[in-house]
Amino acid sequence: MNELTRKQRFKNWLALPGGWGILIGTIMFAAIVIMGIVIPLFGPFKPNAFVGDPSVAPSFKHPFGLDQLGRDVMSRTFASVWIDIGVSFFGVTIPLIIGTIIGILLGVTKIKIIRSVVSSIIDGINAFPLLVVAVAMLAFFGAGLKSVIIILSITNWARYARIARTRAVVVSQQNYIEAARTLGYSKSRIVIKHIAPNVSAESVAYALSDFIIVITVISGLSFLGLAARPPAAEWGSMIADGRAYLANGWWMVIFPGLALCWAAISLSFIVEGMSRRDRGNS
Amino acid sequence: MKNQALRKILGRLVRAFSVSFWVMFISFTIIRLTPGDPATARLGVEAGKAATDALRKQLKLDVNPIQQFFSYTNGLFHGDLGISLQTGRPVLDIVKSTLPVTLTLILLSTAAAVIISIPIGTYIGWSGKSSSVYAFRTLTSIILATPNFFIAMIGILFFSVRVNWAPVFGYTPQFPGNLKYLWLPVAVNTLIMTAVVSRVLSSSVLETKGEEFVETGIIRGVGRIRFFWFYILKPSLAPTVVLLSYMMGTMLGATVILETIFTLPGIGREMIGAVLTSDYPVVQGILLFFGFITVALSFTGDLIAFWLDRRVKI
Repeated sequence: MNELTRKQRFKNWLALPGGWGILIGTIMFAAIVIMGIVIPLFGPFKPNAFVGDPSVAPSFKHPFGLDQLGRDVMSRTFASVWIDIGVSFFGVTIPLIIGTIIGILLGVTKIKIIRSVVSSIIDGINAFPLLVVAVAMLAFFGAGLKSVIIILSITNWARYARIARTRAVVVSQQNYIEAARTLGYSKSRIVIKHIAPNVSAESVAYALSDFIIVITVISGLSFLGLAARPPAAEWGSMIADGRAYLANGWWMVIFPGLALCWAAISLSFIVEGMSRRDRGNS
Repeated sequence: MKNQALRKILGRLVRAFSVSFWVMFISFTIIRLTPGDPATARLGVEAGKAATDALRKQLKLDVNPIQQFFSYTNGLFHGDLGISLQTGRPVLDIVKSTLPVTLTLILLSTAAAVIISIPIGTYIGWSGKSSSVYAFRTLTSIILATPNFFIAMIGILFFSVRVNWAPVFGYTPQFPGNLKYLWLPVAVNTLIMTAVVSRVLSSSVLETKGEEFVETGIIRGVGRIRFFWFYILKPSLAPTVVLLSYMMGTMLGATVILETIFTLPGIGREMIGAVLTSDYPVVQGILLFFGFITVALSFTGDLIAFWLDRRVKI
């Protein structure tokens, strides 16, 4: 394939509904991830090092200023990418895998009692707002990032299971599944090779918007002092730390907050673009 | 027809009860998720056997789980949610004294969001101009991606630090006085809720616009207000109401953060306090209430949606 056609193909792809949203979102997301790798590794200041006087306003040397203990806010903001995006990644993928598997099994099972009991457990878990159930469970698990991942795994799967169950029921009535059955394929082969790939597309699409929710939940819990603990650099806890200095140190709150928004907005542009593409237009 | 509608509603009610049962079950079980023993976790290893045994007895962890679940359910029906380990107050009293603040916060935000969203959502959906729809969707997705505590911080920076319009500390429960403390958190909630609600409303108005009965209405020359309400808004509102009831549940969860920021004596801040002091009965009791309220909200939402549009599945 030569250069021209590749360029042309990209242009065509971009012209489809939502193309710009996906492109801009992806670039924004990649940018913050790259900054999160580059700044902590090659930046002049360590995120937890005391490099100057407390509460120094942004300057050329410290573009984001210094915090109440004299740490470089820029280094800390980008060092947070590891925690916020990294931990959220696990907080999304683990429930995605567990929930999708349970949902598919629930969609194809013929045993009515299992179907109705597990379905109502799912409804029960989903009845609680995610943040509330996470806060409550932290009382028993003890605060910390590891607890947060465990808690997200045992609660958030229910949302994926609901999506996967609905989808699995629809997929298993399709003609191609009927065809596979007629060909005499075993049940497990049909589920793994034919149903699962068609169901998981929808779960993965939801995972992307769930990523935004999970980032917000993790930073929110850290803001409350229940997830990432000081001195760890994390957007939510940096904002909480800066809160007391808001009157004469706005940069301690605004920059981590903007980074958090940047990450979430980039993802939401991708989600938005993809759903526009799915709907065809509008 | 009437019978069928009744059966649908009844079915939905049964589902609400079965979900409530699991809400109860989860709130009850949650204490048993503690790695190791909850009593030791609260008191520390050095507390001594007598003290831990006493606490275990107080938390009713010494009897077998099934028996305990029955006594727990029985207590619930008599309004007994246990007693706070920290203050000795009955949990139900704590809920009763903190819930009004939270409900005021949520109801005010919901009302404001509905009032603002209806004109915006209908206008965007009805005009259907692709440039304004695009700008609107981009703006709302930026608002939705911004966490509420950051919006609150920006609000505090402008209205409490620069000018002293919104005090961040203190609260008075009396009606006109409390607005001084409530307006900023309400504004934060309203902004987020308006973004969601107007977005969904605009896309369902856009969808309604394409329906055949709308054209019929235009041809028949129905009066302006009548046309607007019966032909456009009423059929478009059903999905919005369902979403609104869901959003109110989410807002309820978000109060955990907002009430902490604005030091409002609501149920969310009470819960954070209980979590930080390992006050297990209070955490369980509040969690249970959060669950019940959400179930009730989604039931009501579905019911109203069904009343607005009989085609809705509930």
